[in-house]
Amino acid sequence: MMTKKTCVAMLLAGGQGSRLGILTKTVAKPAVPYGGKYRIIDFPLSNCTNSGIDTVGVLTQYQPLELNAYIGSGAPWDLDLSHGGVFVLPPYQKGKVGEWYRGTANAIYQNMAFIEQYHPDYVLILSGDHIYKMDYNAMLNFHIRHGADATIAVREVPWEEASRFGIMNTDTEDNIIEFEEKPKKPKSNKASMGVYIFTWEKLRQYLIDDEADKSSSNDFGKNIIPRMLADRQVMVAYSFDGYWKDVGTIESLWEANMDLLATPMPIDLHDKKWRIYARNTGYVPHYIAEGAKVVDSLVTEGSVIYGNVQHSVIFSGVRVEEGAEVRDAVIMPGAVVHRGAVVHRAIVAENAEVGAGCIVGEETGNIAVVGHAVKLPAGVKVTAGQQVDENTTF
Amino acid sequence: MKDVMGVIYTGENDARLRELTMLRAIAALPVAGRYRIIDFLISSMVNGGMRNVGVIMQKNYHSLMDHLGSGKEWDLHGKHDGLHLLPPFLTRENVGVYSGLMDALRSNTNYLLRSKQEYVVISGSDLIYNAHMDQLIQYHIDSGAEITLMYTRDPAMQREDTGTYLTVDESGNITDMEVEPTHPTQECTFMEVMILKRDLLRSLVDRGVAHGQHDFMRDIVLPMVHNPGSHINAWEYTGVAWWIDSVQNYFRFNMDILDIGTRGKLFLDDLPVYTKVRDEMPALYGDNAVCVNSLVADGCIIEGTVENSVLFRGVRIAPGAHVKNCIIMQDGHVHSGASIETCILDKQAVIKRNARLTGHSVYPIVIAKNVVV
Repeated sequence: MMTKKTCVAMLLAGGQGSRLGILTKTVAKPAVPYGGKYRIIDFPLSNCTNSGIDTVGVLTQYQPLELNAYIGSGAPWDLDLSHGGVFVLPPYQKGKVGEWYRGTANAIYQNMAFIEQYHPDYVLILSGDHIYKMDYNAMLNFHIRHGADATIAVREVPWEEASRFGIMNTDTEDNIIEFEEKPKKPKSNKASMGVYIFTWEKLRQYLIDDEADKSSSNDFGKNIIPRMLADRQVMVAYSFDGYWKDVGTIESLWEANMDLLATPMPIDLHDKKWRIYARNTGYVPHYIAEGAKVVDSLVTEGSVIYGNVQHSVIFSGVRVEEGAEVRDAVIMPGAVVHRGAVVHRAIVAENAEVGAGCIVGEETGNIAVVGHAVKLPAGVKVTAGQQVDENTTF
Repeated sequence: MKDVMGVIYTGENDARLRELTMLRAIAALPVAGRYRIIDFLISSMVNGGMRNVGVIMQKNYHSLMDHLGSGKEWDLHGKHDGLHLLPPFLTRENVGVYSGLMDALRSNTNYLLRSKQEYVVISGSDLIYNAHMDQLIQYHIDSGAEITLMYTRDPAMQREDTGTYLTVDESGNITDMEVEPTHPTQECTFMEVMILKRDLLRSLVDRGVAHGQHDFMRDIVLPMVHNPGSHINAWEYTGVAWWIDSVQNYFRFNMDILDIGTRGKLFLDDLPVYTKVRDEMPALYGDNAVCVNSLVADGCIIEGTVENSVLFRGVRIAPGAHVKNCIIMQDGHVHSGASIETCILDKQAVIKRNARLTGHSVYPIVIAKNVVV
């Protein structure tokens, strides 16, 4: 029986996200917690399911354990289907050869057999690096309407930041005429979002050719897209103007969490028509005790607040004890802030403990980070920008 | 260990729950900010190793079916057994309205017959507990009793004019039993949970029905207690429990679990309570929010003042609104300047600007579903 899907999504989730420092020491970047109850990967997965794309391959490589467990059967995103659904695709042995994914294009090349099972007309390439809500189906319609071979989602960024991005120079008809990776003097402020739709037949051939080219670094941005442009394939830019935030660094991850506390919220997570799904923990509602103070914050189920929480994002199962003060901070699942501790402009990672009377972070400067499951002894001071892991001595 | 099935009977009298059960079965009553009563019952069974759970439904069962769905949240959606929703149906012998547990069991004889497990745990649905069912099962098997009844010595569980009360000796034997006394005189309260062999249950129901009997406790169990040839045992549940059979008791349960110690005794680490998930964002607190001694579920937006209250998912408390000693179910909305005390707001109830409502703990005000005040 021939089974067919119009569009299959491939989510590149193999990157380490080394710029997130100790936060990605034991988990892959897409599994990093965000927004009180989500992980970064919930956004592209929810976008897929809300866009009607029900077949998603998730390419993993770095620290895949937690990501695999998190994705599981795909049920939280309605991606547990008998035909289609979500699949975790680690690198695997083929005959006598086994190899890691060498680049983004190589990762897709190595999983061509997975894609071909569904005989798709189009393939959507996604990354697990951004927080955004996007209708991929609208982008697919745009791709089809333009008879494009490739469509690249772009977002206008502030001109002064444009040189940090891959920039698309387009004509008035949205045709991409030039692609510049991190240009010193950008001619446009349309940054590639790392969201691509390809007509599969075309991409397939380019992946095969690219693989045969020993000098290629097998990367979409560096090789495939420039090659297709040089061959004058029909390539169009699809403009997106919603909230789109890179969470690739400690500072930007912190900022993206703080963005949720702005009024109005720049990315509406209350939107019932475009819910962001997540694997739920099954905790009781959170409890705010007598004497506690919680303002201007997000708090989720399973946490218990006795202290003072201000302009912060509190994840599930967190405990903030009496006299503790949490301001402008992100407290990840299961973390504990003990009595009298002050956490300010900081990220406290999963299951970490801030000992009684500790001071984490400062009024100014970079964001301080307490790493995964680190137990800070009482009275310790963590300065701005410092990242504390289990090897840090005091 | 897994040779046990569960049956939940949801046909209890709901008159004293007033508007709260106008549109739903007691078992479907929302409690504790994100659960329904039946979540506690099914979770206990599942945590006790049961993989075949039947829910006998009576009236207003739409919300119950909607909540339980395929049973996925309780891992009861497998190919073997799983969750069985048993709505009433009309046959020549059955008019669709059960006159009690025995009648309900008789009408579902086919389900009992088709099931493969050796033992059945039966539970009522107008109470909340979180029991180590595996201990009850083991106790029952080891004792060799025909029926084991689960009971509590909590004096707060004694009620007038209803319920079954026991006297239990040190070795767990029931020495006396009274059914629906005006004033209970025995200190152990039967918790409407019992275990027995499936075959025995079927024959007891057959025999009872054939003799024109309809009250399982009074007509079947009570004579067995007094019959020296029968062995009816009792297992003490030492955890926390509440009857949810009146508005007052419903209110009291929700207020009781604001206490962290009490909450910890109900939500045990080794006995998680599963429920249907609603994908809401975390609760959002505004700049001037004041919230103390309250349980708050995801999806709430709190900009006003909340004291000693339980807020379900998606509740909105506008700036300047004041909420004290209240239970506000899913998507309730209290507008600015409104002040409510000791009220229960059913789902999607709305309290308009500057409205004032004050109830009393022995008679909380109930605002029915979708009502705008």
